[in-house]
Amino acid sequence: MSGLVAFHLFAVFVGPWAAIREQTSPLAADCRRLVAPYVDALYLGNGYRFFAPEPGPSHLVKYDLTLPGGQTLSGHFPDRAARQPRLLYHRYFMLSETLNTLYTPDKNAPGRAVFDRYVRSYARHLLLAHQAANVRLTLVEHRIAAIEDIQRGKVSLADANLFEELPLGTFSEDDR
Amino acid sequence: MSALAGTVKGWFREIVADWDRFWFTPVDPATLSLIRVFAGAMLLYTHGVWSLKLESFFGADGWLMPDAVHAFHREMHTWSYFWWLRTPGQLWGAHLAAIVVFAMLTVGLFSRVVAPLAAIATLSYIQRVPGALFGLDQINALLAIYLCLGPCGARYSFDHWLAKRRGVGLVAVEPSIAANIAIRLIQLHMCVIYLFAGTSKLMGLAWWNGFAMWLALGNYEYQSLDMTWLAHWPRTVSLLSHVTIFWETFYCLLIWSKRWRPVMLILAILLHMGIAICLGMMTFGLVMLIGNLAFVSPLLVQRMLAGRGGAVAPQSRADLEGA
Repeated sequence: MSGLVAFHLFAVFVGPWAAIREQTSPLAADCRRLVAPYVDALYLGNGYRFFAPEPGPSHLVKYDLTLPGGQTLSGHFPDRAARQPRLLYHRYFMLSETLNTLYTPDKNAPGRAVFDRYVRSYARHLLLAHQAANVRLTLVEHRIAAIEDIQRGKVSLADANLFEELPLGTFSEDDR
Repeated sequence: MSALAGTVKGWFREIVADWDRFWFTPVDPATLSLIRVFAGAMLLYTHGVWSLKLESFFGADGWLMPDAVHAFHREMHTWSYFWWLRTPGQLWGAHLAAIVVFAMLTVGLFSRVVAPLAAIATLSYIQRVPGALFGLDQINALLAIYLCLGPCGARYSFDHWLAKRRGVGLVAVEPSIAANIAIRLIQLHMCVIYLFAGTSKLMGLAWWNGFAMWLALGNYEYQSLDMTWLAHWPRTVSLLSHVTIFWETFYCLLIWSKRWRPVMLILAILLHMGIAICLGMMTFGLVMLIGNLAFVSPLLVQRMLAGRGGAVAPQSRADLEGA
């Protein structure tokens, strides 16, 4: 029994220790390999880096749909007005945050394929859900207002200057 | 030389004895049972909310289509029964079954059977939708797993009530080694979580210059209570930032001290309720507090809930020492 407990505790520690590949030492990576199936199966491989290294900007996904009749429909998620209860809002928020986490500008980077699949997955879902002809997706970064600017009354938290857009592409029925 | 060997041997023997005492002292399952009630309710709510958009998230044409999830999980050892479900009918059937399991866990009906089922269901939901998850799901998973290990339905449950009805008079709840192991694992897991939460912040300038809390509270998408006025109170923002990182980093040490434990738990309540109310993460704030409940002694739980869980069990040493 002691052996099982010790093994589990080792896995509990190694999970967050080796959670982020780019920040993991060779020793931590070796330890992770020893317990990888166990850590993955029990969902122990989380970094627990809540608001670390520091709280950053938030991200939204904007979509512009063209419907079969030519009408257009636009929206974004997370949408504070549309998603209740709050937990559901947070699920959509995590969809957009995950897209940003996966994003890398280098199209040949190892993780880029996962990002591309996620973008296509979101696009296909929107196309099917709305029976749309095409959809244009944009990742929007919402920077946090500097505390000095708020003190001086220069900006609000939702000031238009705090938003920056990254076009993700236009996807059509063929991409379904 | 023999004196040195004797000292080392004695030291090693003490460590083994401490290890055995820490893990294998029977405790009353009151704390574990109370965690079952709250964790079960949180699992029920978390998965109940999925009902509102079940097919949008878990269906084959949902936000996270199978090929995207498989790419995300490449080289990982994950499993989910959702991959077996082909039709909306099957999806809803499995979902309703899971909801029933979580409800049974909450009220403590057939707890030893439904606890493992709840853990399997929780992990299956998680492994199906990477990309829609956050801290809530991490804590839900660990609580569901540890509830399987001990007699989580021994108190505050239909199981206990039914046992009393079948028996004559009060049915005594025995102290349990398995309950202790489950509680110890929750305690140590919480320590690991806070250790990494705290140390990973040490890399961030904003936690040193004191403006980190502004970056969290001033985030429009997180904000559920307008705290923008705090921008005019920079020293308060700094204090909140510094207390947070010190508390997280040293939690794994100070929570074991009888003198510091109440302070650490009060700070846990303030921090997590602050996150819950100001940053729109009520579920995450509450589930972290459920994890912290593992540091409340079974005796205190019984005293607080006297009359609701049956007779007070014979007190073990760990009970009296506050686990």
